[in-house]
Amino acid sequence: MNAALLVAALGVWAAGACVDLAAGPSRFPARAATFGAGFAGAALVAALGVRTTLGSARTLHLGSSLGTGEAILRLDPLAGLFLTVAGMLGCAISACLVSWCRPDGRVTSRETGAGFLLLLAAVVVVLLAGDAYTFLFGWESLTGAFYVLSSVARRNGAQVRAGWATLVLGKVSGAALLIGFLLLAGAAHSFAFTTWSTVQGSTLHAAWWLLIVGFGVKVGLLPFQGWLPLGYPAAQGPVRAAMAGLAVNVGFYGLWRFLGVLGRPPVTLVVTVLVAGGLTALVGITFAAVQPRLPRLVAYSSVENAGIILVAYGVALAGSATGRPRLVAIGLLAATLQVLAHAFAKSVLFAGSAFFESGEGTDHLDDLVGVGYRYRWSAACFSLGCLTLGGLPPTIGFVSEWFVLEALMQEYRLHDLALRVGITVGGALVALTAGVAALCFIRVIGLSILRRPAPRPRPAAGAGVWGAGGLAILALPTLGLAAVAPLVIRYLADGLDPVVSGRLVDAARKSPWVLQPVYRSFSILSPSWMYVTLPIAVIAVAAAVLAASRGRVLRMRRVPAWRSASGGVSGPDHYTSFGYANILRHVLGNVLGSSREVVVVGSSDSERLHEASVEVRTSVVEPVETYLYRPIEAFVLWAGRQAQRIQSGRLDAYVAYMFLALVVLIAVVTARP
Amino acid sequence: MTIQGDRLGEEAIDRSRFAEAVAHLSAGPNRFAGLFPSLRASGGVELRAVVATPGGYTSVVTELPPGDLAYPSVSVGLPAASWYEREIHDRYGIQPKGHPRLDPLVLPLLPEDPHPALGDWHSQVSPDPRALDAHASGEGLFTIPYGPVRSGVFEAVEYLVETFGEDIPRLRSRMYHKHRGIDWRFEDLTPDDGVLLAERVEGTASVAHAIAYCRGLEQLTGTEVPYEAEVVRLVHAELERVANHLDSMIRHSDGSYQAVANARLAVHKERLLRLRATLCGSRFGRNVVVPGGVSGPMRRPPDEARSELLRIAGGVSDDARAMMSTPSFLDRLRGAGVLPADLVAAHGAVGPVARGSGLGEDVRHARPYGAYPSSGFRPTPPHDQGDALARQQVRLAEMDESFRLAADGLAILAGCNEREWRRGPGAAADGTAISSVESPQGELLYVVEADGGRLARVKPRCAAFHNFALFPAAFRGDILTDFVFIEASFGLSIAGVAG
Amino acid sequence: MPWAARGLREGIVTTRYPRRPDDHGPDFVAAVTVADQPVEGASQGIAGLCPTGAISEGPPVAVDRGRCILCGHCVDARPEVFAYESSLGTARLHRRLLVTPPAHGDDDLEVRVAAELAARVRRFGRSLHIRHVDAGSDGSEEWEIAALTGPIYDVHRLGIFFTASPRHADVLLVTGAGAAGMAEPLQRTYHAMPEPRVVVAVGTDAISGGLVHPTYVTRGGVAGLLPVDVWVPGSPPSPFSILHGLLLAMGRLGGTRPLRARGRR
Repeated sequence: MNAALLVAALGVWAAGACVDLAAGPSRFPARAATFGAGFAGAALVAALGVRTTLGSARTLHLGSSLGTGEAILRLDPLAGLFLTVAGMLGCAISACLVSWCRPDGRVTSRETGAGFLLLLAAVVVVLLAGDAYTFLFGWESLTGAFYVLSSVARRNGAQVRAGWATLVLGKVSGAALLIGFLLLAGAAHSFAFTTWSTVQGSTLHAAWWLLIVGFGVKVGLLPFQGWLPLGYPAAQGPVRAAMAGLAVNVGFYGLWRFLGVLGRPPVTLVVTVLVAGGLTALVGITFAAVQPRLPRLVAYSSVENAGIILVAYGVALAGSATGRPRLVAIGLLAATLQVLAHAFAKSVLFAGSAFFESGEGTDHLDDLVGVGYRYRWSAACFSLGCLTLGGLPPTIGFVSEWFVLEALMQEYRLHDLALRVGITVGGALVALTAGVAALCFIRVIGLSILRRPAPRPRPAAGAGVWGAGGLAILALPTLGLAAVAPLVIRYLADGLDPVVSGRLVDAARKSPWVLQPVYRSFSILSPSWMYVTLPIAVIAVAAAVLAASRGRVLRMRRVPAWRSASGGVSGPDHYTSFGYANILRHVLGNVLGSSREVVVVGSSDSERLHEASVEVRTSVVEPVETYLYRPIEAFVLWAGRQAQRIQSGRLDAYVAYMFLALVVLIAVVTARP
Repeated sequence: MTIQGDRLGEEAIDRSRFAEAVAHLSAGPNRFAGLFPSLRASGGVELRAVVATPGGYTSVVTELPPGDLAYPSVSVGLPAASWYEREIHDRYGIQPKGHPRLDPLVLPLLPEDPHPALGDWHSQVSPDPRALDAHASGEGLFTIPYGPVRSGVFEAVEYLVETFGEDIPRLRSRMYHKHRGIDWRFEDLTPDDGVLLAERVEGTASVAHAIAYCRGLEQLTGTEVPYEAEVVRLVHAELERVANHLDSMIRHSDGSYQAVANARLAVHKERLLRLRATLCGSRFGRNVVVPGGVSGPMRRPPDEARSELLRIAGGVSDDARAMMSTPSFLDRLRGAGVLPADLVAAHGAVGPVARGSGLGEDVRHARPYGAYPSSGFRPTPPHDQGDALARQQVRLAEMDESFRLAADGLAILAGCNEREWRRGPGAAADGTAISSVESPQGELLYVVEADGGRLARVKPRCAAFHNFALFPAAFRGDILTDFVFIEASFGLSIAGVAG
Repeated sequence: MPWAARGLREGIVTTRYPRRPDDHGPDFVAAVTVADQPVEGASQGIAGLCPTGAISEGPPVAVDRGRCILCGHCVDARPEVFAYESSLGTARLHRRLLVTPPAHGDDDLEVRVAAELAARVRRFGRSLHIRHVDAGSDGSEEWEIAALTGPIYDVHRLGIFFTASPRHADVLLVTGAGAAGMAEPLQRTYHAMPEPRVVVAVGTDAISGGLVHPTYVTRGGVAGLLPVDVWVPGSPPSPFSILHGLLLAMGRLGGTRPLRARGRR
């Protein structure tokens, strides 16, 4: 049955891709059919995921049918858990795409539809891979899909650069995984993951480092986060959601999977993950907060979330390194909840914003003023995503962030000083991040979504029925998952069982509707109860106000907002979104490397009166990009130029190189003992 | 002692060479002090540039013929002249050719509107609130209109703060809301009524205005003011200075949330105003100074007033010292609103604003008048940091000196028996005179024209007219929260600037 | 901490007004009054004494305090007719009531406007929030208004507060001669206030334009721009006079009785 579901899903997607490649994007039915296939396949995958999570583990041996050696597919609860999420997100994003692609001109190339389906299929392959070959096959396919999707609109140099950054860092990720897998396979004499638990010693440590790097690149761990703010915005519309909300989860899946497979990680690695995770979160949210363009802001917020998830994962690693399964349980539970919150919220952010960005023809936050009044459903769902990522109650983001902080508070249970310092530093950075995150999303909602716009005609294209439904699938879980958090944890306990005992994870449920951070008598939270008390409190306050004012609050005299009685000014006269973020450029100037320059563009005579027109240029410097990527890029280009010299194009030179190589080879072979 | 009149040199010159001559004359130790139009019966305008020289004032005059009120702008080489040219452009339609930015200053009129000082003023003009163009552009730039009605009890002025959050790349001000046409109102008043209006040009510096006005008139009529009257004028002028500097301190302490300091300084200021009320009946020293002297003796025995004054002085200097050693206060002022000395010089800034940047003479010292030559007045030592703190230190030192001068003056008055308070005019006022005094905010200039004993034209030029033009330049590197300190440290009187 | 001790140094400096008269009241010249009507025929040319035309020759000779700028020219020239008055309570509820001596029927008028105002401001209760607007003052009125919040007058003890936004204000305190440039901002501020609202014209300039009017940009006070409820004469009025005006606006002075008790002739 499961195999049938899998084959059906892949089949539907393949058919969809064929339609797209054959018919092209010029007519709407073909576009809709492609994304409709995405929806159908994803629904099958979701069903497969639920069945797999709740069932027992099964292994499918495919033999060498993929042409990559002995291929193994493993359907266990962990894969099932991620498949469930991927299926749901796939359905929702496909539905959004069906609506979004309706107006002509939005989808202009064949690659979007096929690339999207390739991405879905690659994700499923990675999640189900039971051996290194299959895993890497899926992984490289995913990198290919990302490259295709992020270089669809090669309109200018920046977009071409975005595609290349995605590809290059994807290759770095693949290379790290390949070497790590080869080390493990070499020690265990097998490519099947299940055999790798026996590997010990320095090989294990080296493999751990390589795998963390490999998966870290995918999720955006510092210093490999550079491609996210380039690659995501370069993709089109809701496809970004598929990259940032859906596909990124395979990176987390890899981390989860190998925590269950491999032996204890080295302490230095754990501390590195904790500190790097904290820094990732802070750098991510700081840059998110000052971005003037919405897609880049959302992309940087992905970096931030990766950081928070990795800090929680670091707690689980610390538990694994010191042999404390409860700590693994709380760390992994917190990280998984955060993955869930991020997956839904990030998808709804990208999918929802696609509608108003395309409708308004701009992605500039200062130009997206008042979209909340014109694209009510998209913007409402978008705002729920913002609240979730801001970690505000009553969303699942609040629950997950609570668990992350509770996990970090278990630091006192450890005795290793390095680990304790690592957790403390990570915790402090996460707490700082939470504050900046609130500022960041208040800015988006307050100064763009909800700000009163100048009256403009209502645009024709909203989210449509499919889009509205897709957005609902993405947005409602941000509330719903919090309301039924105990049930979610019950499900997660099943899904995480291959990594850490489900019984331990399930200890997070103190009583049917009250949660605790796995350890007893530490602290409790009941998000479900919040859903009862908050409405009652709101109603009670409203009733009290109404009664105390004897109904006068309902009789309001509306006057224009108070503006200092001025006759008005030319140009914008409200706080801009950019201006609201400027305080961060000052306060966190050291992180941002912010600079401003006032250039006189008027005459020098008028400048002597301080009345010349000036132009203000502000910039922020990404430390990683400036101090790491640029030198490496410069070095690679230099090395390339050096290599060009030996390619003189003369035949005798090439013959000489071959001769030289032959001599060296013979020398090496004969020199072996 | 003798009353030293300001000598008025005068040179008539063709309008094409006017700008050049003014720039030439303002160089070196001289300082550009004003540009004043005067309407001629023919419909032409006589334009007078006044330059302060080490010993007095000299002026250059040019005639603009009717129907062609244009001349090459003075501001190109002399930033200090810019606001004058904007004002005469607003009110007379005079065209300073080549002025870099002829934005409206006191009346934002459209070209087709009649110019009030030329045309029929009964058709009451409505200043057009149409906005000035934004001066700054770039990512996220917007304009905060701050005023004319803003938090707190302030005079009406609108600051257009162009910002992208925190930083202030450009700041402009609109003060036309308050324009009252006050110099027009002087025309045809009697000299005795004129002093009442002078007291209302800048209500917080009534005494300084009354003295400056009367000194101009006394020059024209050749009146010698009795010494005792000069001492009374000095006492009132110095008390006014202390009150203004205290007000500036209060605004600083309010801005930095020093609640106790704020309350205590407010008590000192109120006591000082009450002392002034007991001396003359008015809390602002009004109705004291009249042409030819003062209106009468002090209403309270001078020695009694002196002991009260010394008590207030003790309290003020005690609290001021405590404030200047409160780190949370000093931190807000230090480095805020820095004005480099060359900028101050270029704009001809005066008073504590200029002295905080190590420049700026004190009229009481440079061109001593009234009872000052015999008072032993010592100018405050200059501070050259140029920030809000330096300006405040200048004010504190001036307050000490003013307390001393006023107390000495009261002692002199207590010892005087023979008293003559006012002398009649030697002749009917006729001609043009330029007079100046050191008002609390710096040099105050009056151009008084009289014709047959009545005022033909009176133009007060407040210290703030020069200092305000420098205000936008003080915001390099400062952010929105520094605004309150920079504004308070400038001590701007909007009524005086808007006219 | 040193500042806390410093704050306690002088004890209570706050005035007891309005509960009992303030000792410093007589120091301030608050108004000019007609002490004695001149003998028949002696009022010739008496109006010419006043630079703002506040004196009418009558008979009876009357002074319009709404025009008087307290220059004292009339008191100096005709001390047998005019005298200074240092009463703290010079504010009135109607423009006509500023003329002294009162004409026939002024008492009825006073009772009537006081009752009308009291009916409107009943909702203010025991607290009053104030927004100040400068409509072309000379700057001294602002000092006197600001003094009200200092420790000596301390209007907070009476439930009077200054607000940043007119949307929280009950009372609009307007100073200045009504400069044309402030006409629109004044209207905007007034219309931003919630009902009921009370307008207090502070100072002779705000009542009639004083000496500053007429020019090409002044409107002769703010009455032409807004419906004024309380008139506070003086150039500038002392903080006591302004406070008196505010108390009148609040109806804190208990109807008309205290007005009579202030010794008007």
